[in-house]
Amino acid sequence: MEQRQQIEELVYRSCLALDDRDFKGFLALCDPGFRYKVSAYSPEIRKEMVWLDHDRAGMETLFTQLPRHNSDHSPLTRHATVYTVTIDGPQAEVVSALQVFRTSLDGGATELYGVARLIDTVKLDGGSPKLASRVVRMETRQLGFGTHIPF
Amino acid sequence: MAKSAADWNAAPKFPATHYVDSRIYTDRSIFDEEMEKLFKPSWIIGCHESEIPNAFDYRLFTHPSGVPLILVRGDDMKVRSFYNICPHRGNTILYDPAGNAKRMTCIFHQWSFDARGNCIDISRAEQGYQDRFCKEDAGLREVKAETGFGGFVWVNLDDASGSLKEFIGPAMDILAPYMVEPMEVFHYNRAIVDTNYKLWHDTNSEFYHDFVHYFNRITGMMQPGYYDRKYTAFPNGHATVGSMQIQYDKYEGSKERAVGWPGLAPGGWYMVDLFPGMTYNLRTSVLRIDTAIPLGPTKVAIEFRGLGLKSDTPQQRAQRIFDHNTIWGPFGRNLHEDLLAVHGQGRAMRERTGSRWVIQGREENSTIHDEVGMRHFYAEWSRRMARPAYDPFRENRPEPARAAA
Repeated sequence: MEQRQQIEELVYRSCLALDDRDFKGFLALCDPGFRYKVSAYSPEIRKEMVWLDHDRAGMETLFTQLPRHNSDHSPLTRHATVYTVTIDGPQAEVVSALQVFRTSLDGGATELYGVARLIDTVKLDGGSPKLASRVVRMETRQLGFGTHIPF
Repeated sequence: MAKSAADWNAAPKFPATHYVDSRIYTDRSIFDEEMEKLFKPSWIIGCHESEIPNAFDYRLFTHPSGVPLILVRGDDMKVRSFYNICPHRGNTILYDPAGNAKRMTCIFHQWSFDARGNCIDISRAEQGYQDRFCKEDAGLREVKAETGFGGFVWVNLDDASGSLKEFIGPAMDILAPYMVEPMEVFHYNRAIVDTNYKLWHDTNSEFYHDFVHYFNRITGMMQPGYYDRKYTAFPNGHATVGSMQIQYDKYEGSKERAVGWPGLAPGGWYMVDLFPGMTYNLRTSVLRIDTAIPLGPTKVAIEFRGLGLKSDTPQQRAQRIFDHNTIWGPFGRNLHEDLLAVHGQGRAMRERTGSRWVIQGREENSTIHDEVGMRHFYAEWSRRMARPAYDPFRENRPEPARAAA
């Protein structure tokens, strides 16, 4: 498989895993040094904000703890489109557009929940590409009653 | 035993001060009256001073009663507030939520205003108005603004209102020792939820709902000192909650918070609920401020701010942000649970659902699961609205046997 195609498939598989709440499957796509961050710019306070920032162990803890919390159970469906892949030796920088849709359990209405940009660093030095880092750059900053599940 | 319709609709077996009629959360006429009687004459947090640090910095704020406001720092560094409405043709003057504007110019016809509310330019004034109207006639509508209680900018739409200090009274004394160092906003987001604003404030006014929070059960409810936390009620409907030592390390993957707050004991946590819909929440390393902006009887926008100290090192700030996000960020454990709960209330209390009463009957010597905080709020609500919350439409239920606890 072409390297670019492998990288694109990695991004798409990561979305499918999170859609299915297959957190183990998601983490299996990540490098041991994986770092995940959600950030946004606030035009209101004119500042960069970090909304979530975890290393791989932090993500594992998050996923382990979530079932113990009260959460909305509406499925989230991610639609990603890989825009650019810049390969630089053993890694690639990948920029994707992301839309997240939420579907209500009762009645099944789907609404656009959020838009963001995924900025991934992909490690290429092993067998299959792995996510070394992901920054979810949020454009949407209003999430209603919210969610526990990362984008 | 399950209830019949008659049982369900009968008033709860509590003193009338210990429950409210759930129509106060849905009725349009009550909502409109609340805007006039509760919000317009109250001091409301518009922003924090760190959001407008420089001369001519401005911040837009939609007042809960609906009035669009500009909060702007003048050339004299004083913060003033004006309607964001051009006195000419009623257009919006400033569009971006924040910025710096030495001249605030309406894009429609280029009328300009300074940061003191003076009109400084009317395009082609002499040709159109001759000597009948001039820029001295075209100032902005100014509303009262004061900065205080941790550097927040407060506004009041009532020209005849008392001072901010009079409004707050002694309610903020519990936090005063911790509001000495200058603070800085590092987080802002807004949640719009289909629920009544009072239901959000109720949630901030009682801790019995800690049962919804796994994090709080593990780090607080199951730890020594939790049931010693006490509510104290203050004039004007305000209330405070005393501190305890939160055991953050009891939650898997969490640890004692590495960054504290000057003067605050490790793991400390104080809250101040301010009528009609604001909360100071100082939890160990972060100050969170909630401001409820009612959008309708069953819709509210809640503004969330997270603050650290202006003197923070980058490492300290990063730690505060991490602490904030763990429970209070948009993906935080507790915030979603609280918002989901009030969303659920809003859903169950829509008109025609059959929802009838909300019980606030817990009495535990004003300790943490006592619902005295809510009762105190509704005593003030009833006084200002001249309607008892338990019988808002005067349908012949008796007056309460005793005053609100």
